[in-house]
Order: sequence, then structure tokens, then C-alpha cells
Amino acid sequence: MSSSVVAETEEQKYEQFMERINRGEQIEADDWMPEDYRNALIKLISMHGISEIMGALPEKEWVPKAPSIQRKLGIMAKVQDEMGHGQLLLRVAEDLLKPTGKTRDGIMQDLFTGKLKFHNVFHMPAPSWGDAGLIGWLVDGAAIITQTNMLNSSYAPYSRALHRICAEEVFHAQHGESIIMALAEGTEEQREMVQDAVTRWWESLLLFFGPPSSQVGKSKQDITIKYKIRPKTNEELRQAFLTKYVPRILSLGLEIPDPTIRFDEEKQEWIYQQPDWSKLKEIMKNNGPKSQERLNLRRVSYENNAWVREALGQIS
Amino acid sequence: MGSNEFFQEFEVFSKKTSKAAFQHQFSLLAPNAEMAMVMAQENFLRREPVADIWVVNRKEIRGLNYEEKQMLNRLDNKEYRTTKGYGYLKKKWRHYEQQMLDEKEILSWGEK
Repeated sequence: MSSSVVAETEEQKYEQFMERINRGEQIEADDWMPEDYRNALIKLISMHGISEIMGALPEKEWVPKAPSIQRKLGIMAKVQDEMGHGQLLLRVAEDLLKPTGKTRDGIMQDLFTGKLKFHNVFHMPAPSWGDAGLIGWLVDGAAIITQTNMLNSSYAPYSRALHRICAEEVFHAQHGESIIMALAEGTEEQREMVQDAVTRWWESLLLFFGPPSSQVGKSKQDITIKYKIRPKTNEELRQAFLTKYVPRILSLGLEIPDPTIRFDEEKQEWIYQQPDWSKLKEIMKNNGPKSQERLNLRRVSYENNAWVREALGQIS
Repeated sequence: MGSNEFFQEFEVFSKKTSKAAFQHQFSLLAPNAEMAMVMAQENFLRREPVADIWVVNRKEIRGLNYEEKQMLNRLDNKEYRTTKGYGYLKKKWRHYEQQMLDEKEILSWGEK
């Protein structure tokens, strides 16, 4: 070990912390960590956890309407997984929040007041069975790209949670592919259903990865990269998504609603039409098409179930 | 009622078969051990086979902090405690046209 075992001053602690993460060591919940590291993790992981829970809402709409008993079982299992992921991630966030005294209830209140955001894709409507399939295939596909990017995150509890989550996401992606495949190989009407879903979701999928870096050293993504919470930038992740999924979408005879999209061999990158970034800003203010409706659903169920939490608290 | 006193933190351990060692799964919040047991199955054991589950209230766990963990580093020369220090015997036995009874061989006797 290059540094002394017991660090005394804040500077020494910071130095030791940076040495540890630069050596590839992972940080545990009880270890010393700088405030901005803790805050970046809290923001990232509570948003991730709440998004899992809010993401179950557009999908659960399709549980009663799934076209067969097998499909119903499949999508029910997936919705339950998403809630389970939410539980895992909220645990990780809660341990980080401990020094602040904030608890799960506080996280929920932040969601209701709009202080805590959830992912843009879960503010969107899912009007057809094609959307249910597309969410599994491409929305989960995009989520797999961002989550595998953090599998070796410098924060150990998050890394452990992501290993569990990503293993289940593989099932989700294949569940979505199976729905899409059946529709894409089906009747004209079914093919249209998939095409409509791709057209409807394309912009949201591009927005999902967040804006490309602008001022280096300032943004959230730079802090997470500096502290090795994740290695790749938003744009690198979006490019990876396009590389993996554009050929698959086209191979099914589907069209991407962007006539300009192409892979530039020289630059080795995808050239595509930028999404309307102002839409992401509106969604972040909970002004998306389904933002209020879904928040309300969550709020009502949280209030309606309060008596269960209270009743359980009496038994010990 | 504040959720502060309502929820307690439990660590969940499980094993896949009756012979396997317990493995840490993750933690969860529950108002009591009974609910923790139900939630452990719902949260972490929906797919894989499971033979046994423990839920442990975090209050009952004494762990190590970062400084204490530094004391766990082993001295580098522990050969006298391990079979590694006796590896030369293999060559010796070969000289006497005998096979070395190594760990793999000895532990296999239990299966016979």
C-alpha cells in the first residue's frame, strides 16, 4: 500500500479514496467518500430505482390485455422483475442517504413533488401490443447498454445490484424480441403495429441516453466518469445502441423514421437526425404525455397502501 | 408514523442446494423478520432453485470498516501452513516410483 493505512485529514482521505478507485478497487457503503461522489450516486441510483418502478406502469397496462396466457405470464413476470429492481436500487440509495437521515418515504415524496425525475421513456404512452413488445426489445435494449456500462462501477453495492439486474434484463430483452418477432412475421396489420411502435418510440430512444457532453468538467456525466462510476459518455452509449440495434431493426424490414441515418465508415460513427432536446426538458418537468397520469397512479397506490405499512408495523 | 422506525434493514442469505454454502444475496427493508422472509423470496429468489434462506437483521451484524479490513492482509510467507511448502515431495515420490497423495486424491476418497 502506498498511502498510510489511517488517513487523518480530509485531503488525505480524498487522496486515499482516489488512489483506491484508480487501482480499480470498489468502495463500500461504510467507506469514506467525498460528498460530490455520494451526491452523484444518490441522484443516479435513486433516479434509476424510481424509473424501474415507474417503468412497470406502462407495461402493467398490458397484463390484462396480453393476447395469450403465455404472453400474460411472461409480461407479468417482467413487471414483477422491474419492481424487484426498484427494490434493489432503492436499498442502495437508502444506504447512501443514511448520513442525511432521509429514508424511502423521502424518496417517494421527492418523486411526487417532481424533485426526483424518472426516465423519459416512461412518460410516454404504450397504446398497442406492439409497444409492449418494443419496450422489451428496444427500451430494455437501451437500458441494458447504460446498465452494462456501469457493471464495474467504482461503487460496489451498485455494481452488485447491476449484476443481478442485467442477468434478468437478458430475459426481458428476449421476451420483447419474441413479441416483436411474432408480430413482424404475422399479418399486414401486425407488421404495421410494430412499424407504428418503432416510429412512435424512435425519438424517445435517442433522448434516453441524454444530451452529448457540452461543457467538459461541469456536467453530471463528467463527475460519474471522473469517479469511475461509469466509463462511457452519453454519446458513446447512443452510438453503441445504434450499432447493435439499427441492423436488427432493418433486418426485420422495418423503417427507422430518420431518412438521414447512416454509418460513416470514415468517422466510424453514426450520423443521425438529432432528437428534439426541448422535449426532454419538458419531460424533466413532468410535462410529458403521460407524466401526470402515471405519477398520480403511483401517488394513489402509495396512499391507499399506507394502512398496510402501518398495520405491519404493529407486529414485531 | 415515520418510516424511520417502521422499516428495519435485513441482509438476505440463501443456498441453492442443501449441500451448498450460504451465499449473500442482497439487503431489503421490512417491518419484521417474517415479512423479510416473504420479501426475500419475492425480491431475490423468483427463478433460481433455493434450498434454504436466512434473513439477518443488520443490527446483529458486526462487520469491519475500511481500516480494519487492512489488517486482513496476510503475511506473504505462509508456506509452512499450506501444502504449497511441500510441493517438492511430488518429485521425491516419483523417484521412488510412487504417486503423491495430493489434496485432489485424498478428497476423492470420500466419494469411493
